[in-house]
Amino acid sequence: MAAEIQKQEHVDTRPPVMGPGHNFDSLTQKIIDIVLMRGFKKGWIFGFAIVFLGALMLFNTIAYLVLKGVGIWGNNIPVGWAFDIINFVWWIGIGHAGTLISAILLLLRQSWRNSINRFAEAMTLFAVACAGLFPALHTGRPWVDYWLFPYPNTMGMWPNFRSPLMWDVFAVSTYATVSLLFWFMGLIPDFATLRDKAKNKVQRTIYGMLAMGWRGDARHWHRYESAYLLLAGLSTPLVLSVHTIVSFDFAVGIMPGWHATIFPPYFVAGAIYAGFAMVLTLAIPVRKFYNIEDFITMRHIRNMCKVMLATGLIVGYGYVMELFMAWYSGNTYEMFMMKNRIFGPYGFMYWLLILCNVAVPQLLWVKKFRDNLLVVFIVSMFINVGMWLERFVIIVMSLNRDFSPASWRMYYPTIFDFTMFFGTIGFFLTCMFLFIRFVPMIPIFEMKTLLPESKVDEKKVEELVSGKGPLGATPLPQFGD
Amino acid sequence: MDNNYAAPADLGRIQGVALGVGLLGLIAWVIGVVVSGNARNVFFQTYLVAYVFWIGIALGCLGWLMVQYLGGAGWGVVIRRILESGSHTLILMAVLFVPIVVGLGNIYEWTHKDSITDERVRELLEHKSAWLNPAFFSGRAVIYFAIWLGLMLILRRRSHKLDETGDPNLIQSAQDWSGPGFLIYGLTCTFAAVDWVMSLDAEWFSTIFGLLMIAGQGVLSMAFIISITVILSRREPMSHVYQPKHFHDLGKLLPALVMVWAYFSFSQLLIIWSGNLPEEIPWFIERFKGVWRYLGLAIILLHFALPFLLLLSRDLKRNARRLVLVAWLVIIMRFVDLIWIIVPEFEHGHQKHLSEYLIYIAATIGMGGIWLGWFFWQLRSKSLLPYRDPQMAEALAAGGHH
Repeated sequence: MAAEIQKQEHVDTRPPVMGPGHNFDSLTQKIIDIVLMRGFKKGWIFGFAIVFLGALMLFNTIAYLVLKGVGIWGNNIPVGWAFDIINFVWWIGIGHAGTLISAILLLLRQSWRNSINRFAEAMTLFAVACAGLFPALHTGRPWVDYWLFPYPNTMGMWPNFRSPLMWDVFAVSTYATVSLLFWFMGLIPDFATLRDKAKNKVQRTIYGMLAMGWRGDARHWHRYESAYLLLAGLSTPLVLSVHTIVSFDFAVGIMPGWHATIFPPYFVAGAIYAGFAMVLTLAIPVRKFYNIEDFITMRHIRNMCKVMLATGLIVGYGYVMELFMAWYSGNTYEMFMMKNRIFGPYGFMYWLLILCNVAVPQLLWVKKFRDNLLVVFIVSMFINVGMWLERFVIIVMSLNRDFSPASWRMYYPTIFDFTMFFGTIGFFLTCMFLFIRFVPMIPIFEMKTLLPESKVDEKKVEELVSGKGPLGATPLPQFGD
Repeated sequence: MDNNYAAPADLGRIQGVALGVGLLGLIAWVIGVVVSGNARNVFFQTYLVAYVFWIGIALGCLGWLMVQYLGGAGWGVVIRRILESGSHTLILMAVLFVPIVVGLGNIYEWTHKDSITDERVRELLEHKSAWLNPAFFSGRAVIYFAIWLGLMLILRRRSHKLDETGDPNLIQSAQDWSGPGFLIYGLTCTFAAVDWVMSLDAEWFSTIFGLLMIAGQGVLSMAFIISITVILSRREPMSHVYQPKHFHDLGKLLPALVMVWAYFSFSQLLIIWSGNLPEEIPWFIERFKGVWRYLGLAIILLHFALPFLLLLSRDLKRNARRLVLVAWLVIIMRFVDLIWIIVPEFEHGHQKHLSEYLIYIAATIGMGGIWLGWFFWQLRSKSLLPYRDPQMAEALAAGGHH
């Protein structure tokens, strides 16, 4: 009876994770052509020129900032934290999609992740690099930032271990290190492929060095797989811990609007929300430009939309809880904080936030919209903006009107706040352009595992082992032979 | 295709045992209440603990029911009938809510705000009385139950129709309901947690409390589901159905939820402890004293550390006999955690004699007899598998993934 049920074919109505008609060769060729081609596509040069200008703007701002000091920014008492921390949290959040896709989806055996993981991991790295800039520069004397690390020194000075800002240093540097290792390790087999297919000596030398002597040996693969799984296990807590600690930066203090127990899960959900929005923002144009719709299929887009919808609803739940508890607490400051958020001088930012993060993403409930790339792209843009607004609402609006009206001040960003912020976007996109051009953005060997050729024919194996097949009893090759 | 998944005959015997033990619990409860000398208060306060415990399993089953439709995974199909039976007990729980409304005055401090001498507290309760008043409290409970029962009946009807017609569109329809359903479920469970448990200390508030209680009922119901699957796996016909891979899947969900629960609890503690604000910290100060301190330590060790470490083992997760021991530990610790959350509110610093805590155990066993009786009645009434689900083949396929 159970066997009878098993005979029933289960019809899968979902779109495939890879377009039809591919084999090992066509797949490899298509991905490495983007990297090994001679010269540059016109569109690539045009785009790169624009984003590189943005990066230059960042470098100039940083130079001026180091020269003059953080006074060139608009933050001042009582708003001592503004764009710097907003942007830090925004970028760190964006990085989360990479870790989630590469680690958690790997552990959950979601094979659809195979084509987007490297792309998302690269995004994580570049986003963390952008994020790290802000606190590092906000210290005012970036040349002594190494004081942030606890090391025995002649000054007899230690960082304050009770401060969540201290935990941030550890959380973010661990995050950056593990993400880099994970990304690079995943690249090694593909670097070897590039080395073997290289068209000239320069390519062969550079990719050869990066491949670190990979020969595709069974032992290599065996160790690679165990190490990769281990790193995935290590990264999994990082998905939660990094943004949890970022949320502690606020929640551990007693500022109304910051001190809320829901902050850790609400920040983590927001980070994943922002991360997936950014992956979609980049993946939708890239798959079109490079004609790789076979690899990043509608299945990926749909699944990412669903993750975005779910995390967005958790974020919305956080807003509801903040509102309700501010009233329910009966606390004067909590109630004022909420009133100020909604109707205060920055009130329009709160309404924009609700529009971007809560209202517009509800479109994703409808299947037709999830399948419409333009709609998905626009919704993700809204979320990118919304998540930035959320941090503005939390950080600036709590600080600018705190406990005592005598200390209230408005906050206005300066031109350098904007050049720094848009500069990091330019820098981030510059890195993405270089990554897409010089590194295989889709893992070749992981995609191969999705092809039907790579499936082990269990019947054949059984026949071989039991000796009932046409070949009779044939000993299977043993590991180490 | 035939349905050969009728419940085993001796499930009735287990039901009988549950009812019998429950009856003993009821008798002990009544004796305890009478002897306590403060019958009315003790009755309603012990009743609340028992109620929150058992509705946790019922609501947890409803939540998992929607999650398994949304996730569309193989583990969901093999436990779906358990989830349906568990969530069906919400009908019973709706009826059992009536005594709480009757005993509001004996349970909740906010019902007699006028007799409070501290002016600050009285003003605060005055402010909250728009939310915390008997009429609105009961009205909200009616809304919660209407929503939960509605969701339960909608999903149940589709599942039973599937048995009759085998129409796969019914699964799609159940899935379509589960998305928005889970959203409403999350909100109603949150506000129920605020109403029924958080408002015991009417001054205290914590924005994560709803999520914490939802995670708690997720852990509790998963441990319960594992216990039931293990009972069924020792009997025909499910002994042919449940395989190590199924226990492995459930055994992964259990530590995942234990971790989520621990994460929420720790966040709440760290943030309130660091803030050290007069309106928040008393809740924890109360629980850092006397017997509660040791109970708190026990919760950290036995509700989080031990199950987490044990469930790291792959062999343990695939071994039903050992997995169920961990599940029982988690069920007991969920009860301890609820005691730790609720009971200090009834003491106001005057520690009770330890023997009085036995009444809470008796109450929970007593109500449990009725609850389990209802649950097994439901489980026996239908086929133990939704055997016409299109995913059945995948779920039953032999061999191990991982």
